[in-house]
Amino acid sequence: MIGEMGSAQTDKGGEIQLERIKINARQMFVLIVLFEHGSAIVIPLGTSAKQDVWIAILLGLALGLLVFSVYGRLFRYYPDQPLIVYMQRIVGAPLGKLLGIVYVTYFLYIAARVLRDFGELLLTFAYPETPLFVLNAIMALVVMYGAYKGLEVLARTGELFLTLLYVLALSGFVLVLVSGIVDLSQLQPVLEEGWNRVWKTVFTETLYVPFGEMIVFTMLFPYTNNPAKVNRAAIAGMVFTGVNLAVIAAINMAVLGPDAASRSAFPLLDTIRRVQVAHFFERLDVFFMIALIIGGFFKISIFFYAGLVGAAHLFGISRHQRIVYPLGLLVLLLSVAIASNYAEHIYEGLKIVTFYLHIPLQIIIPVLLLVIAAIRRRFGQSTK
Amino acid sequence: MLFQWGMSRQKKRMDVKQEGPDHSGEASDVPQEPLSAELAVNIDIIRQKTGESNDVVIRRFALGQEWQIKAAIIFVDGLVDEKNVYEFVLTPLLQASFPLALEEKERFQWIEKKLAAVGGVKHISDWRKLFFELFSGATVMLIDGVPFAISASTKGGEYRSIEEPQTQIAVRGPREGFTESLRTNTAMIRRRIRNPNLWLETMQIGTVTQTDVAIMYIKGIANNEIIEEVKARLRRIDIDGVLESGYIEQLIEDQTFTTFPTTYHTERPDIVAANLLEGRVAVFVEGTPFVLVAPALFIQFFQAVEDYYARFDISTALRFLRVLIFFISLVAPAIYIAATTFHQEMIPTQLVIAIAAQREAVPFPGFVEALVMEVTFEILREAGVRLPRAVGQAVSIVGALVIGQAAVEAGFVSSAMVIVVSITAIASFATPSFAIAISARLIRFGLMFLAAMFGFYGIMMGILVMTIHLCSLRSFGVPYMSPLAPFIPTNMGDTLFRLPTWMFRERPRLINQKNIVRQSGDQKPEPPAPSRQEKGGGS
Repeated sequence: MIGEMGSAQTDKGGEIQLERIKINARQMFVLIVLFEHGSAIVIPLGTSAKQDVWIAILLGLALGLLVFSVYGRLFRYYPDQPLIVYMQRIVGAPLGKLLGIVYVTYFLYIAARVLRDFGELLLTFAYPETPLFVLNAIMALVVMYGAYKGLEVLARTGELFLTLLYVLALSGFVLVLVSGIVDLSQLQPVLEEGWNRVWKTVFTETLYVPFGEMIVFTMLFPYTNNPAKVNRAAIAGMVFTGVNLAVIAAINMAVLGPDAASRSAFPLLDTIRRVQVAHFFERLDVFFMIALIIGGFFKISIFFYAGLVGAAHLFGISRHQRIVYPLGLLVLLLSVAIASNYAEHIYEGLKIVTFYLHIPLQIIIPVLLLVIAAIRRRFGQSTK
Repeated sequence: MLFQWGMSRQKKRMDVKQEGPDHSGEASDVPQEPLSAELAVNIDIIRQKTGESNDVVIRRFALGQEWQIKAAIIFVDGLVDEKNVYEFVLTPLLQASFPLALEEKERFQWIEKKLAAVGGVKHISDWRKLFFELFSGATVMLIDGVPFAISASTKGGEYRSIEEPQTQIAVRGPREGFTESLRTNTAMIRRRIRNPNLWLETMQIGTVTQTDVAIMYIKGIANNEIIEEVKARLRRIDIDGVLESGYIEQLIEDQTFTTFPTTYHTERPDIVAANLLEGRVAVFVEGTPFVLVAPALFIQFFQAVEDYYARFDISTALRFLRVLIFFISLVAPAIYIAATTFHQEMIPTQLVIAIAAQREAVPFPGFVEALVMEVTFEILREAGVRLPRAVGQAVSIVGALVIGQAAVEAGFVSSAMVIVVSITAIASFATPSFAIAISARLIRFGLMFLAAMFGFYGIMMGILVMTIHLCSLRSFGVPYMSPLAPFIPTNMGDTLFRLPTWMFRERPRLINQKNIVRQSGDQKPEPPAPSRQEKGGGS
């Protein structure tokens, strides 16, 4: 323990070794769970599938696991390097660097998008008078502080907050059940309009957010002390989250009904607001807010941290701490500048980002990388 | 005072010899020179070096059948046990018949034999050692014609006797607390852990004060790396004086810029013994009853010593209560501010109306109201701590009347605010460790400010930053939040939970790695098996 004390950074034989830290598989699981829950529990996830939302989420999970197996295989090929480094070994330095820049930009852009989501949510439901920039700035400062302290600290913080989140979730769940607002008949008829609607939702929404976003962890896997267990931890984290999200979505649907739920901006908040138990447990908005803040923080932090580490590798910066401030500022400004209003932001998210960013960067490029790496491996072995 | 000290130093320096500037008075004044062979010269030097301080007693006498050998004993009045000096040092020498024909060397051995009745007899050949022994309470003996001195341990003098500790009071548990004497303190631990593996290492820290600092640990249980780390950090200290263990604490802690304590200090020997058994290292400092224990974990500050003496279910409940208390003392005023300014919808309707009605007459916003009350309370508390006891009572009466009644009646604050402040205050007194309660006191004001600006969002962000900070702390390399984060399941039995004593199978994982098992696994107490007679039953 003492040996790996401190997050001292050293240049080891030319290759940049950022943060000489290691987190264990359990901490990786925690980070994945928090990341995947992130904004997915608060935003309307897959509600276009109406009462079949839970099926859409579970199918998204299944396909997400398939996509993840590509990342997992890549990680097994290069267990001590992040995506941005082994990409250069697979496709060569110039193209690899270019792709690296694309990925760093992608991570930072998604960090900014999640930050915007987060700010807009707070703005609409609690702070209508506060400027978006101020709300985002506070969060950005905390994210920058967390990223400055490094992944090890984030992982430990995650362990504490996952417990808090879970206590809240369980008590919230019990309160929802006890207050008698759950009407399971709202989930029927199952597959009213056949599979089409479900598949459409899967391929336009639930596959990419949150499951496809696991691509970001290809940047963090090298920091685990037990690479053999990482894939299992990641899959466990995804399955755990997927089931949770499906349950939450089903409950939202059962409480609000398909119409209200699919029109609601924050289905979970609307559900929580309906809770009334013993004339005391009511207006539990604060539960929602805590979940929102914890989830938002970890999602933004992990995207931001991946962007930081990637940029540090690309540009040969020995301490990621040095670029926390400039890139943090960039993410903050980007979060305000990417859209002029919330409707535009949502439109971009659903129509543009999905097709032009998520599909190529989460699926096409990793699959290509894996194919090339596998061919190279076989070819290399046969020549030897 | 400082000025005078400087003056006298300068004067002495001119007398003795010239030297460059040096922050250590000792090094510049007392040369590491050998003693002179002439008694008169030696005595003159001692007189001169000590500025003829009259607590340095110099007694000249003569030895031998014809009183032909001049000698002197020197000791510091008050540091020695005078009875010992006269009975065991002076008397045997004066009463013995001194053989006439003795060489210098033989004289010396002869005297040493005569001093067998006292312990710690040492030869001294240089001035630095002589003065160190002298001011440690030894009696130094000089003989004419010999360029050596003999010192004999005659430590004594007045110390506070062992009393019940003033802090960390327990209903059940030993009543003795540490004193200002290092030796008494280490003996209290020895009495509890009668094992040769209990090792003690002493060093002098403080270039002027030469304070004794001792490290104690159990060899084989404590982690060697941590022991070495503690020693290395202690060796690095270069300071003129150490007057309390707080000096050492601040010089060896991992991080200065934190409000949280990363070493534990205690007045209770049972706590130190328990920590040594868990593999920690204790640092004793002469002159203070507060002993440092390292590494310290966050959770440790919520564990009172009594938890281990009471039944486990009660202890567990109390620990949860303490964490609740900590949170109340941290966020209660902030939540009041946030709820009344931003989130009125969260308060039950009748209560909102009641609070609004009270606040009708209050001219200040919630934040100012809370700040005024909190600051007033802190002033009262500070006054209560520092004032002589007799005056303290007057302060509390004024405080109760002014805050409790007059402020509300005058419309400065609402009575709801008074309730919040009182709960916060009581909660912060109820935290078992003053060190952690005081950091909560400080953070509370930051959270109040955040709550006034951003409501619950601000509070959550403040707590998030605080948690990140806590998770980034380390105490002597051990993560401060362990075993919660990083989560170590086998050590969870002694965190917020306190499992039955027979289940404490392992020592904390991050503190020691080798010698982990502390007891056998099958000690669950059970009622005796019913005997056959009883089974057969019935008469």
